[in-house]
Amino acid sequence: MTHDLLDAKSAGAFGSLPGRRSVGIADARRVAMVLIWIVAALVGSARVALAQGGGDGETLFTQKCTACHTIGGGNLVGPDLAGVVDRRDPAWLSQWIAQPDKVLAAGDPIATQMLAEFNNVPMPNLALTEAEVSAIITYLANPGGAVTAPVVAMGVGDAAHGRALFTGASRLANGGPPCMSCHSIAGLGALGGGALGPDLTFAYNTYGGDAGVATFLNTMPTVTMNAVWARQPLTPAEQDDLRAFLQEASVQQRPPQALWQLTALSVLGTLLFMGAGHLYWRSRLGSVRKTMVQRARI
Amino acid sequence: MFDIVLFVVFPYVAVTVAIISGISRYRQNRFSYSSLSSQFLENRTLFWGSVPWHYGVITLLTAHLLPLLFPSLWGDLLSDRIRLYVLEVTGLGLALMTVVGMTLLIVRRLRSPRVLAVTSTADWLLLITLLTQVAIGFWIALVYRWGSGWYLHTSVPWMISLLVFQPEIQYVTALPWLVQFHLLAGFFLVLLFPFTRLVHVFTYPFTYLWRPIQVVIWNRRPPQKQRP
Repeated sequence: MTHDLLDAKSAGAFGSLPGRRSVGIADARRVAMVLIWIVAALVGSARVALAQGGGDGETLFTQKCTACHTIGGGNLVGPDLAGVVDRRDPAWLSQWIAQPDKVLAAGDPIATQMLAEFNNVPMPNLALTEAEVSAIITYLANPGGAVTAPVVAMGVGDAAHGRALFTGASRLANGGPPCMSCHSIAGLGALGGGALGPDLTFAYNTYGGDAGVATFLNTMPTVTMNAVWARQPLTPAEQDDLRAFLQEASVQQRPPQALWQLTALSVLGTLLFMGAGHLYWRSRLGSVRKTMVQRARI
Repeated sequence: MFDIVLFVVFPYVAVTVAIISGISRYRQNRFSYSSLSSQFLENRTLFWGSVPWHYGVITLLTAHLLPLLFPSLWGDLLSDRIRLYVLEVTGLGLALMTVVGMTLLIVRRLRSPRVLAVTSTADWLLLITLLTQVAIGFWIALVYRWGSGWYLHTSVPWMISLLVFQPEIQYVTALPWLVQFHLLAGFFLVLLFPFTRLVHVFTYPFTYLWRPIQVVIWNRRPPQKQRP
């Protein structure tokens, strides 16, 4: 008995008997050599892949910033950036553009005040590199004229179809996910939409109405959105329909969080599954002599 | 740079080590490919731990694998709101069931002196990692809804990019840190595979999934009275 236990224990440790562990270590060394090469190759290729991004300040500004900012065209979702380089401390500005989430979390007074001023829409972290931040600041210092929101051609959208696109009932032409995977909005029903991204009930107004929302849907400027949508953008017609739906939803009340209902359903599901298992296997010891079962319980 | 180490280098290292060490262990220590069942030592709590755990985790792993294998089909499946809700609620129920199952399995190892005696450090590391992984998975599914939808458009393209050796980490680096932790812990489990009893996942044939139950009972004489 004791011998059995000892054996089982040593076999459990690394699945091998004590005498054989040295083999495992020699193996590990051989594996390590191969791995070093693989790792070196991978880091190299990934760095090349990442370095392919970037660009000059103007292009970056057009791609990443114009959904929310103008230069001399007035406030949009965020402030007008004309003369921002003169208004703000350079170090603060670089830090803010690079990591706005961290600056806000640290309770920076300027950031906190701007957040309140701009409908509590926080500036997203755009995961810009140091070089990209300085390229944007160089451009902001000397933009060479006013830059207003890029004019996105807008058609008249169909809110009902926008809703179908939002929930997934109509699939998006380029294969993008239904908005509901990550976002909730008023009027979706009991369990609502997703909670990975923000609730979009009032997004139409906070993101600057037709023009702001149109630019956002066209450029998908935030990091999370951009990763998902870069290769499967919304078509112009889909953008119109979704914009119309967002506008329609913005007058309704925000839906309640479904967190407690879901927790209750999870508990119920677990009990059901385990109950079913118990019923299905309840006679599992029925074919065994009772005395044997009793003895095994010691 | 740190993200590259986490989301490119680490997964490749984990999979490479798992494959090489897994094959090596099979060649050199074939009979250690086993779950090292402790059913002989304790059978009652095992049923309530092992059965919910295994049925739950196998179903959930399948649900993680299907979108990777058939992304378009998975997208079609979720296009109906009711189907999405049914799938999510079922998943949440199963996830909580695996949490309960694994908790019972851990409590059983601690409370039964016999089972505790055959539990190694590697076993503890594996059990704790598994419990952490399913608990976080459940929490993510509950708090960051609807995972079955966004998983298809974040983690799946990332894993496919790794499979075709053109890593694209931007799909996952902007996700909440708990989700990133869940992804990394998944690959940590792959790394643990060849060094623990997790190898029993690959014990062919797989008929144990549907064969009738086998009752394992230790038949022995009742303990004799001690002589004075």
